[in-house]
Amino acid sequence: MNLVSMKGISKSFFGVYANKDVDLEINSGEIVALLGENGAGKTTLMNILYGIYQKDDGILKIKDDDVCFKSPKDALKYNIGMVHQHFTLVPSLTVEQNITLGENFKGYPFLKTKDREAEIAKLSKEFNFAINPSELVKDLSIGQQQRVEILKLLYRKAQILILDEPTAVLTPQETESFFEVLKKLAKQNCAIILITHRISEVLKIADRVVVLRDGVKELDDKTKNLNKNTLSKAMIGRELKKQQIKYVPRKEVGLSLKNLSSIGIGRNISYFNFDVLKGEILGVAGVDGNGQKALAESIVGIRKYSNGKIFIDGEDITNLSTAKRKESKIAYISDDRHHDGLLLNYSVEENLLLKGDASKKYYKKGVLSKNILSQDATSKIDEYKIKTYSSKTPIRLLSGGNQQKLILAREISEETSVVVAFQPTRGLDVGASESVHDKLYQKQKEGASIVLISTDMDELRKMSNRILVIHDGMIMGIVDNDQNLDITKVGLMMAGSGVKNG
Amino acid sequence: MIALITSIIAAAIRIATPLTFAGIGEAINEKSGVINIGLDSIMLSGAFVSFYVCNKTDNILLGVFAGLISGIIISLFHGYLAIKGKANQTIIGLALNFFALGLTSFLFLVGFGTSTELPTCRIVSNISIPLLNKIPILGEVVFSQNIFVYLLFLTIILSYIIMYKTSWGISLISVGENPKAADTAGIDVKKTRYLACIINGLLGGLAGSYLTLAQLGFFMENITNGKGYMALVAVILGKRNPLGIFLAALVIGVADATQIRLQTAGIPLPSEIFTMLPYFVAMIVLLFSIKNNKDPLALGTPYERNAR
Repeated sequence: MNLVSMKGISKSFFGVYANKDVDLEINSGEIVALLGENGAGKTTLMNILYGIYQKDDGILKIKDDDVCFKSPKDALKYNIGMVHQHFTLVPSLTVEQNITLGENFKGYPFLKTKDREAEIAKLSKEFNFAINPSELVKDLSIGQQQRVEILKLLYRKAQILILDEPTAVLTPQETESFFEVLKKLAKQNCAIILITHRISEVLKIADRVVVLRDGVKELDDKTKNLNKNTLSKAMIGRELKKQQIKYVPRKEVGLSLKNLSSIGIGRNISYFNFDVLKGEILGVAGVDGNGQKALAESIVGIRKYSNGKIFIDGEDITNLSTAKRKESKIAYISDDRHHDGLLLNYSVEENLLLKGDASKKYYKKGVLSKNILSQDATSKIDEYKIKTYSSKTPIRLLSGGNQQKLILAREISEETSVVVAFQPTRGLDVGASESVHDKLYQKQKEGASIVLISTDMDELRKMSNRILVIHDGMIMGIVDNDQNLDITKVGLMMAGSGVKNG
Repeated sequence: MIALITSIIAAAIRIATPLTFAGIGEAINEKSGVINIGLDSIMLSGAFVSFYVCNKTDNILLGVFAGLISGIIISLFHGYLAIKGKANQTIIGLALNFFALGLTSFLFLVGFGTSTELPTCRIVSNISIPLLNKIPILGEVVFSQNIFVYLLFLTIILSYIIMYKTSWGISLISVGENPKAADTAGIDVKKTRYLACIINGLLGGLAGSYLTLAQLGFFMENITNGKGYMALVAVILGKRNPLGIFLAALVIGVADATQIRLQTAGIPLPSEIFTMLPYFVAMIVLLFSIKNNKDPLALGTPYERNAR
C-alpha cells in the first residue's frame, strides 16, 4: 500500500535550493534508504515530511490525503514519526515521561505513572529492547536512548518511521540488532525511511534506495539492482578512489605512552601502553564516550595525568604544557571543531593565529604583521584548496569541510611528527573526507606518527595500520588491520568483552 | 523567650510571603526556559497599581486585581521580547527594573503630588481561624495571618502538585530542558513559555499588592527595596521547588525579622550592620549551593524551530 507520495517537492533556504523538484513514494512494509552526502537535502526532505519545515512547492500526500504539516504534531496525527540524529529526549525525565510527553491520557493531567510504565515495558519486551521505563534518560547509554526514541514512536502508533543517521552512534553489534528491529517493524507493515551516507549499510538493510545529490533526486531503484559503484556514482558523481596500498611504517618509535592514566571530567583512560611507529596510523575504535576524548587530550596535554609517562621520539614530554607540545610538533584535530578549534565569527586569517607560540612566525619585532599573515593565509588557502571568498571571510560562512581543511592547515606543518586526529571527518562529505585522508596519508609518508580516533569502522579499516580498541577507558586490545581482521571480534571488544592483550 | 521566637517567626512569614509568591512565579518561568531578573519591576508595578486603585476606589479586591494585571503586562512584555524578539533575557530584565522604578515614582508624583501627608489606603485585616488559632505557637504563627498568607499556602500546594504530579509539570520541564523534544512531542513551546510568563506576572503582581495592601497601606518610591532580587535568591536556594523557595524565603525572613529586633535592642552598632544581615545570610547559604547547579538546559535560550 502506498503510504507517502511526494511530488515535485522544493524547498530553499536564503535562495539556495535544499530540495528541488523531488518525487518520492513510500510503501508500507518497505525499508527505504535515503542516501546522499551532507547537504544533499536528505534531512530537509524528511523534515518537510515531518512538519518541521514547510515545503515551498509541490504536493505531499499521505494515504491519498493532500496535506501540509505545520508542525510535528500534525505529522503525528498521520502516524509519522522521526528519530533525529541528535536525540530529542529530556535527560532529566524518566523513560516513561519522555515517551508519553505531550500525550493526553486517562486521568489527564494527573500522572498515572504505573499503568503507562507497564504498557511501555510490554512494548519494550515485544522488541527485545530491555528498557526500564522508570529509569532517567540521562543514565542510559546512547544505544539505549535511541531505543527510547523508537519506543516513543511506536507508543504513538507511528507507521511511517523516519530515522536520521541512526547507526552513527552504535557499535557493529548494536547495529546488527538494530537492523533486526527494523526488519521486524517492516514485517508489521511499518514503512521505514533510513537517512544515511553509508553505502555498506544501505546494501545490507534497504529494500529500495533513493539517492539525493545537491537537492535533486539522482536515483531510485530496488537494492538488488544496485552495487557499491553505482551508488557512489549517484551520490558523489564519481566512483570512490581506489583503496590505497597501506604504507609500511618505519621501524622507529615516534609516539609512546607508558602506563598513562588521566584525571579530569568525564571518562578517563587508565594504564595506556602503546607505541606508534613513525609513518604509522594507529586507529582507535570504540563506542563514542569510552575515553577517546581523554586519550586525545592526554596526548595533546590538555588533560592532566595521575601516573604514567609519554614520549615523542624518545624524549619525555610528560611535563610539557600544551603550548610547548604543539611547538614540539604535535598537531591536534579536535572532534568538535566549533567548540575546540575555531572562532566562527572571525576570519580565516585570525583563526590561523590560534596556535599559541607557533604563531610567532606572524610577528615582526613583536608586532603582528598583517602582511605575513595574509600571505601565509593565501598560500594555505591554495595549498589546501579551501573554498572561501577571501582570507578575510568569517569562517562561519565556510562549509564544514572547508573549516576542517583550515584546521589541518593550521595544525599540521612540516615539523609535525605526531598527529592526533579525533573524528577528523565527522560531518564531512565524501569529497572533503578524502582530502582530509589524503593529508593524513601525506604526513604518514613523511614519517609522522598518527593516532586516528574514529567511530566510523569503514574509516578505520581504510586508514589504519593497526587498530586499538578502547572500552570504558581501557585498552581492550590492539589488532593488525589486514585481510584477516575479524570485525566481529573488534565489535565484541568495543562492547567490552574480548581478550586483553594490549 | 517563646513569645520572642513566635513573634520573629510570624514576622518572618510575613516577610517571606511576597518573596515566595514572586519566587514561585519566577521558578515556573525559569523551568520553561525564560529567566526574568526583572522580578522587582513586576512587584513594583503590582505594588503601585494596587495602591493607586485601592486609594482611589477604596476597594481592596479591585486593587489586588489591578495589581495582578499590571504584573502580567510587565511579565508578558519581557516574555514577548525574550520569546518573539529573542533578545537577551537578562538585559531586558535589568532594563525593566530601572524602567519600573522610574515609572512608578513618576506616576506616584503625578497622581498624589508632593505633600507632607503620606497618601494611604486600606489594608486587609488578619483573619484568625477559629480553634486552629488556639494551637500554641502555630496558632499565632500560621493561623492568625491575613488572607494573602493563606493564599500563599494554597499557591505553594497547588504549584507543587502542578509541577511534580501532573503532566503539565512534565511539559513545563521538557520545554525548559529540551524545547525541540517538547516540540516534536507536540507541545507548543511558545504557548507554554507565554503561559509561564503570565503566571509569573500574576504571582509577582500579587507579591507587589501584598506589600501595599497587606503590609504597609502606603506607597513610596522604590517600595520593593530589592525584594525582587531577594526572591531570585530564594528561587536558586530553593532549587525552583515551591516548598524549597518558601523555606529559603523563610530563612531570609528570619534573618530580616531578627535584624529589625536587633536594631531596636539598643546594641551600640550602626544600624546598617543589621540591615546587612539578610543579604549576608543569603550569600552564605548560596555558598553552600554552589555545586548544585541544576539550571534547565535551555534557560535563557530562545527556541527556533527552523534553526539550521
